Amino acid sequence: MTTAQASTENATLRPSRLPDPEIEAFLYLEARLADEARYSEWESLWADDALYWVPMNPDDDPSVNLAYIYDNRHRIKSRVAQLNTGNRHSQTPPSVMRRMLGNMEILDESSDAVTVGSNFALFEYRYSQRIWAGRVIHKVRRTDAGLWLVAKTVHLVSAGGPVETLAFLI
Amino acid sequence: MNTLEPPPVALEDFDVSTIVQHDRVHGSVYTSPEIFQRELDTIFRRGWVYVAHESEVSEPGDYLTRRIGTDPVVIAHGRDGEVRVLLNRCTHRANKLCNAEKGSASSFRCPYHGWTFSNTGALSAVPMREGYGETFQKVRSELGLAAAPRVQSYRGFIFASLAAEGISLTEHLGRATDAIDRLLALSPTGTIDLRANWMKHHHRANWKMVVENNVDGYHALFTHASVYDAIRPAKVSHIPSKVDVVVRDMGGGHSEIDYSAEYRKLDEEFVWYGRMPRTKLPKYIAALESKYGPQKTHDSLVVGPPHTLIWPNLFLAEMNIMYVEPIAPDETIAYTTAALFPGQDELNQRTLRRAEGAMGPAGFLIADDGEIGMRNQAGLAARKPDWLRLARGIETDVTDETGIVNSDKSAETPQRGFYRQWASVVGGEAEQ
Repeated sequence: MTTAQASTENATLRPSRLPDPEIEAFLYLEARLADEARYSEWESLWADDALYWVPMNPDDDPSVNLAYIYDNRHRIKSRVAQLNTGNRHSQTPPSVMRRMLGNMEILDESSDAVTVGSNFALFEYRYSQRIWAGRVIHKVRRTDAGLWLVAKTVHLVSAGGPVETLAFLI
Repeated sequence: MNTLEPPPVALEDFDVSTIVQHDRVHGSVYTSPEIFQRELDTIFRRGWVYVAHESEVSEPGDYLTRRIGTDPVVIAHGRDGEVRVLLNRCTHRANKLCNAEKGSASSFRCPYHGWTFSNTGALSAVPMREGYGETFQKVRSELGLAAAPRVQSYRGFIFASLAAEGISLTEHLGRATDAIDRLLALSPTGTIDLRANWMKHHHRANWKMVVENNVDGYHALFTHASVYDAIRPAKVSHIPSKVDVVVRDMGGGHSEIDYSAEYRKLDEEFVWYGRMPRTKLPKYIAALESKYGPQKTHDSLVVGPPHTLIWPNLFLAEMNIMYVEPIAPDETIAYTTAALFPGQDELNQRTLRRAEGAMGPAGFLIADDGEIGMRNQAGLAARKPDWLRLARGIETDVTDETGIVNSDKSAETPQRGFYRQWASVVGGEAEQ
């Protein structure tokens, strides 16, 4: 993420508010399910109008730019189904992973949704250890039935590439 | 200007038949640093190599930085209108001159001592020139950027050779122009746009593992079983006896998997595009029919895009374009983007989403191809058996006007063609 983008996130230069513990716990749950390759449970967090996006540049426009991942709900389901076959060779065996989410701030909030920006560091082990890091932006919807993940955008520090195989849930 | 001379290649004490034969390849072809260096000096420093697409450098001033083999180059659309391939190295003391991936500039200024080169490659300014005394004009005329002596394009695809002498691009491409034509027949303007972003995927495998897999008709049932099991069946069966899909060695190292006979038998449009009904793309269909007429449009939409490897580094991956850069014997970067059609935004968005689904480091297909390539490279650490076998289908190959064809799509005909060319080039026989 560019410095310019970071500044538009917080143009007033006032500290943002922090997410409440319920939202924070939901994001930790999302991170833990992804880390532990609990694919179907991870999938169950997503709302029907989901978007899981890993762009190559922070300012990309998906209508004209190619991304590493640009999954709607249907494709998230396919991604998880492929992983669940146990025959997705690039995740057989699955990467052993642990990720940290930090610097969480509320970027936007409406009556039924909150957008949280965080930094993350992910340690991935598969034959050898790789480190992935970046900015992750989650949009979470509050409903009477609980919290749903509406959007997750991952701006990798290494998005400019070349990148190693990204077959796990980033 | 600096004149590029191809590096000398010692051929005494090198017998290519000890490492490549008509039905087998020695493991060292994928692992040996000496052989890797030979490939750089022959395939990549003499022959034609794909470098860029005209849509990426369409205006004077546009430039891109890429590599030919391991040589960094700048593809620059000069102020005089010519597209050149310049070696990306200051002629003074070797600083890498241009460090952005792409951009627009009329000149390149070396940050080390301020030498400035026009985007035609000419040395235009040297600070404190009096330090060269009387010899300055000579220095200036001698120290333009080195440039690829041969740069030509075919319908937007730009190729370069770092050697002055050799065959024409037309001779190099041979029958492979049919594959480019097949792709462009799907575009209402007859052109494509490759500016959607390049996925850069780091493969832990030899560059040949990456490219030869692209025309391997045998692996899909196994490598990609998870896609067919979990998501959707293959567009047509991958069981060779059930389909009229052929593999073809087109000569010159070019090869392909050709679905056209099967698609024509089905006589169904867009089988290759998720069987999309044409009613979903009315604007695209109208534009195609207005350009090519209903009959040709129908045929193009039935036959679909090519699945063709253009020697040595370009893969027309149906509606995607991939090229590779060799980094080391066991390291390759694959660049992939979607082939977009000017003016067809609706179709292009679908093409982008399809490209993300299949290709690149997170793609449902290519992530697994990358894994298999890496394991191939890992397996090569075991030194026995000596050879990798490419004999599958060798007795059923048939020669016709399109090349050497095998009606069993699992035949290793494309790989045999690739290595016949490889042996000829690396062994110093082929004119490039």
